[in-house]
This record gives sequence, structure tokens and C-alpha cells, in this order.
Amino acid sequence: MPSRFKHKVPKYKVTRSDACINCGMCAKSCPYGVHERIEGHNKMRPPIDYKCIGYECRKNDEFYCVYKCPRKALSLSLNPMYETLGDCRWTSDMIIATWIMAETGYPPERTDIGYQTGNSDGGFDKLRLKFPVNPLKVERDEISTELRLNRRNDGRSNVVISTPMYGGGMSFGSVSLSTMLSKARNATIWNTFTCTGEGGYPEMLYPYDDHVITQVATGLFGVREETIQRVRIVEFKYAQGAKPGLGGHLLGEKNTESVARMREAVKGTSLFSPFPFHSVYSIEDHKKHIDWIKQMNPKALVSVKVSTPNDVDMVAVGSYYAGAHIIHIDGGYGGTGAAPDIAKKNIAMPIEYAIPKVHNFLKEEGARDAVTLIASGGIRTAHDLVKAICLGADGAVVGTAEMVALECVRCGNCESGRGCARGIASTDSELADLFDDEWATQRIVNLYHAWNYQLVEILQKFGMKSVSELVGRTDLLEHVDYS
Amino acid sequence: MPKKYHIDIKATPLNRDFVSKFKIARGENCINCGKCTKVCIYEAHKRGAKDPRKIDDPHMALCKNCFRCIQECPRGALVKSLDPDFLALGGSYWKPDMLLSIWKQAEDGKVPVSGAGYRGPFTGPGFDGMWTDMSEIVRPTRDGIHGREYISTAVDLGRKLNHLNFADTGSLASNIHQTVDLPIPIIFDIPACKLSNNIMTSFVMSAVAAGTFAIMPANDISADIKQYISNIIPLVSPDKITAHQSLISGARLVAIEYATALLNDFGSVKDSIKKISQAVTIVRIPAMTGIEDAVTKLARSGAEVIHIVADYRGMEAPGLRQRFLKDVVRAVHLRLIEERIRDEITIIVSGGIAMAEHVPKAIICGADLIAVDIPLLVALGALLYEQPEMTITLPDWLEKLPAATVVQRIVNLMGAWHSQLLEVMGAMGIREVRRLRGETGRAIFFDEIDKDTFGKLFQQRETASI
Repeated sequence: MPSRFKHKVPKYKVTRSDACINCGMCAKSCPYGVHERIEGHNKMRPPIDYKCIGYECRKNDEFYCVYKCPRKALSLSLNPMYETLGDCRWTSDMIIATWIMAETGYPPERTDIGYQTGNSDGGFDKLRLKFPVNPLKVERDEISTELRLNRRNDGRSNVVISTPMYGGGMSFGSVSLSTMLSKARNATIWNTFTCTGEGGYPEMLYPYDDHVITQVATGLFGVREETIQRVRIVEFKYAQGAKPGLGGHLLGEKNTESVARMREAVKGTSLFSPFPFHSVYSIEDHKKHIDWIKQMNPKALVSVKVSTPNDVDMVAVGSYYAGAHIIHIDGGYGGTGAAPDIAKKNIAMPIEYAIPKVHNFLKEEGARDAVTLIASGGIRTAHDLVKAICLGADGAVVGTAEMVALECVRCGNCESGRGCARGIASTDSELADLFDDEWATQRIVNLYHAWNYQLVEILQKFGMKSVSELVGRTDLLEHVDYS
Repeated sequence: MPKKYHIDIKATPLNRDFVSKFKIARGENCINCGKCTKVCIYEAHKRGAKDPRKIDDPHMALCKNCFRCIQECPRGALVKSLDPDFLALGGSYWKPDMLLSIWKQAEDGKVPVSGAGYRGPFTGPGFDGMWTDMSEIVRPTRDGIHGREYISTAVDLGRKLNHLNFADTGSLASNIHQTVDLPIPIIFDIPACKLSNNIMTSFVMSAVAAGTFAIMPANDISADIKQYISNIIPLVSPDKITAHQSLISGARLVAIEYATALLNDFGSVKDSIKKISQAVTIVRIPAMTGIEDAVTKLARSGAEVIHIVADYRGMEAPGLRQRFLKDVVRAVHLRLIEERIRDEITIIVSGGIAMAEHVPKAIICGADLIAVDIPLLVALGALLYEQPEMTITLPDWLEKLPAATVVQRIVNLMGAWHSQLLEVMGAMGIREVRRLRGETGRAIFFDEIDKDTFGKLFQQRETASI
């Protein structure tokens, strides 16, 4: 599923100087199609930068055009445009690699695009997988990536997802209907889930009920008996990693007519959800909350989404005792559609520390096997997913990665004015039309495929038959600073 | 009910371009088709006003880096790069993005809100090495954005008693010291570069507007500025007290330059000031090795307020080691607690305060309030360069700005910082900034948590395999 835009963002820049004599040697040698010479024309076409594999090509004496050019008219450099794309968490390589995965369904074949780690100099980026020298021999088709979500065996739905990840909550209003639909359709195809986010349950999602999680957040937008009853999982959002201690943010201009109608609010007003749930001030209140949902929907599983303060482990245990099936911890470096910059980095801990804390505390309580621990907040790649599982999670929720699959460039302007200029995080009628549902669905399906492919490959290298064997295996990780 | 503290922000664009992060160049193969003007929702591309056949250079202050024009131009004629002027700003501590953010806050006075998650490094030296903590469990104290009017950011400067004595009749026998109340835990430090008399006057007026104080060397307080003395903290050296008598008599706070001799004669210096006025005294001391001892001695000699000054990157003077401000403050705060004297004195810190988040973080580490300098100048358009040596250049149009504009820019910045302090305190469930002081139990330090989590996981195995 190729890009909907005319041009790609090139990593390299191939420059042709005036010394060029149009001999066409470069066009003959380059197998990647960077150089074109049209018969009858006396000038070479400008180099097609994005096709160039860059410095890796130096190994190829046969065709490295820079060496082969008889006039030494060609030179190679990093394209200055590339540096404007990424940042240290989502590097340009990671964004481009995700686009390639969304296009092809497989990780990039080019070796010059580093997609396994970012550049944040900490957390997942300092962890590495330690593969055994002689793993058990396992065939790809013997490997299961299933994750059972109900481990309480309490007679409620025995939900099993086919890949250990699902889509994060993004509200209608923060993102477009197309975006929500494509997430839901992907979830249906992959037998996993997506979450409605705080803004209500759009009618267009009804065909996908079995793969949608209704989110009950502090704004309580669109929370009605019927939206609780139509789904298999209900998620309580107590807090969010990108802005712990604060409720949802939807700035005025994004509160369009249809959004206001869904949320039963006034069009054009900024909506800041309260924090916390003013009906929950104790663990007993929390249990009452969970009981309320369980009463309304006798089959549904309950997921509790919290951020990662120091006491996240106690919250997890408390949630278990209150009857939750899934504990979903959202770390400090998670994505968002709108959050105060000061909150994004300065409140609560990164997910990498929270996962082992909660995993170990639940184990000590003897509760670990009865709950499913889901981690989110900066799970950017299949490698982050695997590391999160090794640290102790059962699976992960992804947010930003799905947006990048839809060609998000991480410009960070989701929140204001008409929202996303690229049509992903906007309900503006003109912008929301920038892509069609078919295209969007396929892009996310491809992303999930690429990640699942990498997950299976990694499990094979570990000689494991199931992703559940990976949970808590910190012995399979090493850290760049401690060795 | 006492009047609630509120900073009046007002959008004050200067219609001058600060630096922009990106540069978009239009190649010669542009055919002026106008596609870019159609796809850019921020209207950065426009047809030439004078010659509509040509497309103007893009207005980079409006560009939000969405890549649409780049990707949709039929000729691929647009090329984006990082603006070298932007990259040249700042250095290892003051990052260009910080300066841009200060400029924007000075313009609109609002809490910066954006989409996408945090894009910076995992941790770092300085204040980046700590996170504040929010507790899921301590719920009833959290009021979030709706309860911000219940949060107090007031602090009081001066000496406090650690207990009260009452006479047998029940009347108060203790002598309560004079304190000065501030509605916000931020004061303005001496500007990092020389300002003209006009601008300095406006600078002081903005301190008045924000309800706080500006520190100024006594010699620099000209006649026009003197009228604002009740919001100025004159800085004097211990031997020049009588010379500045008239300033001191009008001031509410007076700062004294530190000299080692002061450790022994602080008492008499303080007396000479108290003879002239009721002003609360501040000892201004550079951050250095052994500062914990100096501060303790001063506190025992009756010091009321102590202002610890680090360099512009927040570093103490080089010595046995060179600590960052947050570690200096923690050390001083903890020592004073050991000495059972912490609550009796007020600590101000400055040096390296560059972002709104530094205010709560410095207070969590143990300061009562902070003093800010460089950001106030950046609000007025100053550019800072760290290499080859620290330079601050003021824009040439600064002199022509009306005083009200200068004042509003600084007030906007303080309004934005104040709002962000409220956001963080609201999220943490702390209603009084006084309670935030030294609350390291409600903070997460990278060194500690990394050692506790990864250190334990990865080093344990090391010993096991021996």
C-alpha cells in the first residue's frame, strides 16, 4: 500500500556537478534506478534520491556510482531533509522503516535503515536481546503469538487475541472517523482489539463491536449502558502516560459539530476532562466501579488503564483484588493528541521501569498468573514490544506506531486548529478526506504483519514455541551500561 | 476573602521573526503552479503580493513541519533543512528549542500544549535527570485543571521561628520576625547582560506587574528606577551599607554580596542594615564546594534568606567536584535538616533556570524559590550562544519597543510559567508550593530508579556467573 503522496522523504542526496558529461555510466551501473538517462536527451535526469541506498553502496565496487563516474561528478551526502523528519525517540530511520512496513508488510530490506532502536539514549534503546548460540529448532508455523486476555477463569468471555498487541484509545474528535474505522477493521482482521478512546462510540464502529474496547474515562463522554453492553472488553481510563494527573484535552477548534454531538457538548468549546474520577477515591470505590461494569455486561472483561507513578505496583495489586482482568500501565513517554509539554516528560516514570516493578510485585502477591499485564507508552517497534514482554508484560498497546503507519510525520501539531495537516488526527471535513478507509486499513494491517513477522523470527531465534514463554525473561536482555 | 493572585496575560506578538527551526528552499524547477499554496493549511506558502505569477518564499514562522508541500509538489522543487541559524543557538545546556519555546510563551502567555509524545532524550544531566511523581492512590487531593484556583503558589521570605514561647498569661512572648510575602516562588535576578536605562526600567516595571521583585546592583539603580524600590532588591557589598542608606531604607528586601569575612561578621552586618530599615536580608553566595558549611554557619549567625547562585548552566564553581544546581540544593537542604534549622531560613536558587519545569523541580530538591535571568531576556528577543564563550545579543529593535510591550512580554512569560507550575502541582495533588519544598519522596530520580531496576537486573547476573 504505497504512500498517498507524490514524493518520498529521501535519506541521501546524490549531487551531480557540472563536470558531468552525460555519458550514462551511472544509469547503466545503478541497479536501484537512481540515475536515468533517456535516449535522445542530452542531459541526465536529476538523481532519484530516495532510491539510493547510500553509503552501504561503497562496498559495491561494481556499481558505486561515485567511484564509477569517469569525471568524478557525483557525490553522496545525507539529505538535509532527513534530519528535519525525526527526533531522538522516533528517529527518521524509524519513521521511514515504519512507512516501509505499512507499505509492504515486512521490515525494510535495506540495511542502512536502523529500525530496531531509537536514539533516546535510555530505556529500550539501551536494552539488547541476547540470542542463544544453539537454540531449540522450531519451525515458523509451530510458533504461537496468541495472548489470552481472561486469566481469571471467572466464566466471563474467554478472549484470546492472535498477536500480543492492540490499538490504543484515540477519541473521535482527536482523530477522524476514518482513522478509527481503519483501526477497528485492522483489529477485526488480526483478531485483536482497538479502543474507542474517551470521545464516545461512533455508529460506524458497530459492525466491529467484537473487536472494540469501550473506554470509560473521566469525561464519561458517550458512556451509556448500551456502549458498555455491546463490547467484550471495557477499559477504565484512570490516567494516561503522556499527562498523568490531568484529564483528556480536546482544544476548541477540534470540537467540531459532529464531535460536539457525540460528546453532548457545545461546539467550539475546549474540553478538558476532569481528573480523577470524582466517584473513585479509594480502592473500594474502584471495586464498585468495576462491579458496576460487570453487572451491566455479564460477559465483558475489565481493563484498568493507569499511568506509572511510584505506587503503580500497589495500584496494580489493588486492581487485581477489585476484579480487573487486564492491568494496562501507560508509561511517561507515551504519545498523545494534545498534552501540555511540561506534563509529557516530567511526570511519572518511563514504562521500562514500571513493567518490572509491577510484574515483580504481582508475582510476590501471587496474583501475576491471574491478570494480564499490558504495557504502553513508547512501544515504537517490534523490538520494543519484545523487550517489554521480556521485562514482564504479557503484551502491549500501540498508539503512535499506528499513526505513523498512516503516514504521520510526528510534526506534533495534532492538537490545534484544524488538527492534523495530513488528515489523521482531524475531524475537519476537508482534511479527514485525505485518505480512504481501504488504504488506511491495509496500511495498519501491514504494520501488524511486519511486527508479527519480526516477533516470530525472534521467537524462533530463542527456540520458543509461544510468545508467553518470553514473559519476564530478563535473562534474555542485556543493557549497554551494565555489563 | 483575600484577592486571588492572577497574572494578566495578553497576546503580545512583536511581528518580528525570531529564529525558525526549518528552512524551505524553492528550487529552480518550481513552475509556480500554486499546489503548495493549496495544500498548506497553515498558509505558509502564498502567491507573490506584487507579482502573483510567482510564489513567494515560504513564511517559516508559520511552517509546522507537516511535509505536505514537500511531498505534493509536482516537481519536487521544495527542499527542507534545519535552519543553520537555529542550530547555532545555545549550546550544551541551553538548547535552541528551549529558546523558541520561551519566545512563544512570551508571545501568548499560555501553557505550551502540543500533540505527539515527548520527543527528547530519555534522561540527561541537570534537571532532565528527574521526574515529578503523581500518585494514583493519593486521589482526594487532586483537583486537576478545575481546581487550580485552590492551589497556592505563595511563599514567604525571612527568618521563621521553630517554636513559639508564651507567657504564663497566655500572651505571645516570642518576637516574630519580619517576613515578605510573595505570590509566586520566582524573583527576577540581575539581567545577564547590560540593559539600557529604558529597558531596565521596563524590566523592573514587569516585576511590579507580576507582584514580585527584581534584584539590582545598588550602583545601577538610577533615579527613574528608584521609584519602584518596594519591588527592587538592591544588592550591596557589606562595606557599602551606609553609602546606600537611602535605597536600603525604602527597600523591603536587601541582598548582601558574600565574602568569606561574612561568615564571621554576619551578625554585625545584619545589625547595620536593621538600623536603617526593617528590610529582610538576603546573603548572595555562589554555589561552590563547601557551600553546605557556609550556609549552616550563616544560618546559625542569624541569616534570614540565602540565595545560592550557580553559573548560567546551573553548575557550581569548579572545585573538588562540580555539581549541578539540583544536587547542590539537595545537599544544602538535607544538611540544614540535619542541623535542625531548615525551617528557620529561606533558600533561593538561581543559575540554569531555563524552563517552566525547572521551577517545581528546584523546589522539590529543597529550594523555597528560584530566581530567573536569561529567559526574561529571551522573552525580549535576546539570542544566546554558549560557544566559544557565553554571549547574549539583544535585538537592535529592542530600544524602540514601547515600555508597555516590554512589560507585557515578561509578564506573559511569568504567566505561562505560573500556569505550568499550577498544572504540575495540580497533577501531583499538592495545593501549596510550600509543601512542595524538599518533597523528594514525590519525585523520581533517574540515577536511583535506573540502579534499582536495571542495575539490580543486570548486575545481579554478573555476580551469579562468577
